[in-house]
Amino acid sequence: MKESRLPVALASLAVLAALFAYAALASPYLIAAGFTIVLFVTLSASWNLVSGYTGYVSFGHVVFFGIGAYTASLLATKGGLGWPAATLGAASAAAVLALVLGSITLRLKGAYFAIAMLGASEAVRVAASTWESLTGGGSGITLPNILSPRGAFLLLGITALGTIVLTYVVAQSRFGLHLLAIREDETGAEAMGVAATRAKTAAFVLSAVPAGIAGAANAWHINYIDPESTFPMLLTIQMIVMTMLGGGGTVLGPVVGALLLGLAGEFLWARFPFVHLGLYGLLIVGIVIFIPEGLLPRLMARGILPRTRRL
Amino acid sequence: MLEFLPVYLQVIVGGLLLGALYALIASGLNLIFGVLRVINICHGELMMLGAYAAFGLFALWNVHPLLSIPVTFALLFLLGILIEKTLVERVAGAPELSSLLLTFGIGIILTSAAMNAFKADFRSVPALTGSILLWEIALPRARLASFVTALVITGGAYLFLKRTRAGKAIRAASQNALVAETCGIDVARVRLFAYGLGAGMAGAAGNLIALSYSFNPEVGHVFNLKAFAIIVLGGMGNFAGAFWGGLLLGVVEGLTGYFATAQVVDAVAYLLMLLFLLFRPSGLMGAAK
Repeated sequence: MKESRLPVALASLAVLAALFAYAALASPYLIAAGFTIVLFVTLSASWNLVSGYTGYVSFGHVVFFGIGAYTASLLATKGGLGWPAATLGAASAAAVLALVLGSITLRLKGAYFAIAMLGASEAVRVAASTWESLTGGGSGITLPNILSPRGAFLLLGITALGTIVLTYVVAQSRFGLHLLAIREDETGAEAMGVAATRAKTAAFVLSAVPAGIAGAANAWHINYIDPESTFPMLLTIQMIVMTMLGGGGTVLGPVVGALLLGLAGEFLWARFPFVHLGLYGLLIVGIVIFIPEGLLPRLMARGILPRTRRL
Repeated sequence: MLEFLPVYLQVIVGGLLLGALYALIASGLNLIFGVLRVINICHGELMMLGAYAAFGLFALWNVHPLLSIPVTFALLFLLGILIEKTLVERVAGAPELSSLLLTFGIGIILTSAAMNAFKADFRSVPALTGSILLWEIALPRARLASFVTALVITGGAYLFLKRTRAGKAIRAASQNALVAETCGIDVARVRLFAYGLGAGMAGAAGNLIALSYSFNPEVGHVFNLKAFAIIVLGGMGNFAGAFWGGLLLGVVEGLTGYFATAQVVDAVAYLLMLLFLLFRPSGLMGAAK
């Protein structure tokens, strides 16, 4: 059952126009706040694309953000490239890493995959802090100011929009159905003719690209990267929690979760730095115990929101 | 070659001393995984609380950290029971993501609470200082004492699992919960007890960490990641496997630190883990699935 794509196309154009207007008009403070929000939307939507749809919990997704940040920074400083080429390089590096890592780790099931991804991201972080001749080690890399904060916001905002549209297209496609089938019963899906390994790997690579671009945009935004701030495990957890809050395996779930938590973090919690982390923990526990399926699916189940797709 | 022998021995012995602590932490983690099928991501944070308990007992009443071990074990055992009963039990049988996130959330609540209560400063419990010299190998007293204690606790827990009726119930529930249930074992109680025991072992390990290392509220994170690596090395759910995995990681880290730089040491655990996942996912001790 194909729905008409016209409303989605119009909505995307409206969001695109809104992004341009915001980038042109907002104050520097609001640009910085908006950057955080589109960063969360991009990363959550990226995580959702693989983990929400296939059920393979990537517990080290931040590795693609980090590799994007480092590739972009090195291409800009040592390679002398401009930001467009360096950003493309970041996206490609994330895709290649996902292909390599995925062909290894996606063979593992359940908790093994989660732990392997966690280990992979930590190993890459250690590599970034150890390989001093290339990465500057723990002292990090300072970047020239090659893209203004407004430009970085727009770049990442368009990436966020693109990731959501990509999720919509995947969700509407046969490929999306394959991913959901893998999530529900991988052996059964394979028996029905789904090329599970290929589908999982493709979803993994697709999800890594926006995360890599986000890493690059973040590097342009703050003009400085180091291993600790580029590979924080907390960022992976934020992607997961935002997606879970909104609803994994739905197109708009990650957006809802990222907006709610991003705004709450920006305007409420930032004032209470000492309990910020603890509140986050309470929120995670609350979500897992009370709304494990996420807000959107719960509202759909209650008939408050229309179902987006019937299987 | 021969004149370097004492150096190598020193490095290997140092690795074993640390490895026994890893083994204690990881075997508790593996006990929990075996019975509950939950990767307890707040395990390192429970350990951190054990370290602060030992620190508090020493600072307030001058209790020697080797004597406070039963107290920290009991405290963390009770906390573990509380956590299992009120939170972890609710995600029994839910997809892995639920328990991974739940225990991660508990972990950051504990870290944040410790940050507020004790600040981020590094603490230590300098109760045992100095070294003894055995042939040409220097053995720091504190680390030697933690090594022996960790071996005793891990060995005690192993004997408990092997020999006692309650231990057999735990092993049965770990092998096949459904069959254990039909044989009349109260699996929900076994889960509660196993979680408490694992948490108690983490608490005792934290007590030993306090004896030989300085720590702050974030110390749990590093040990968490290493403990995951160790249970993969040893075989997930396999108690004895976690023990040997812990010793192995300690020695490999020691040798890496000697031949390469200290920074590379942190990567060793993850690289070993990835290699094992690739080539021997069942771990050293085999049969875990």
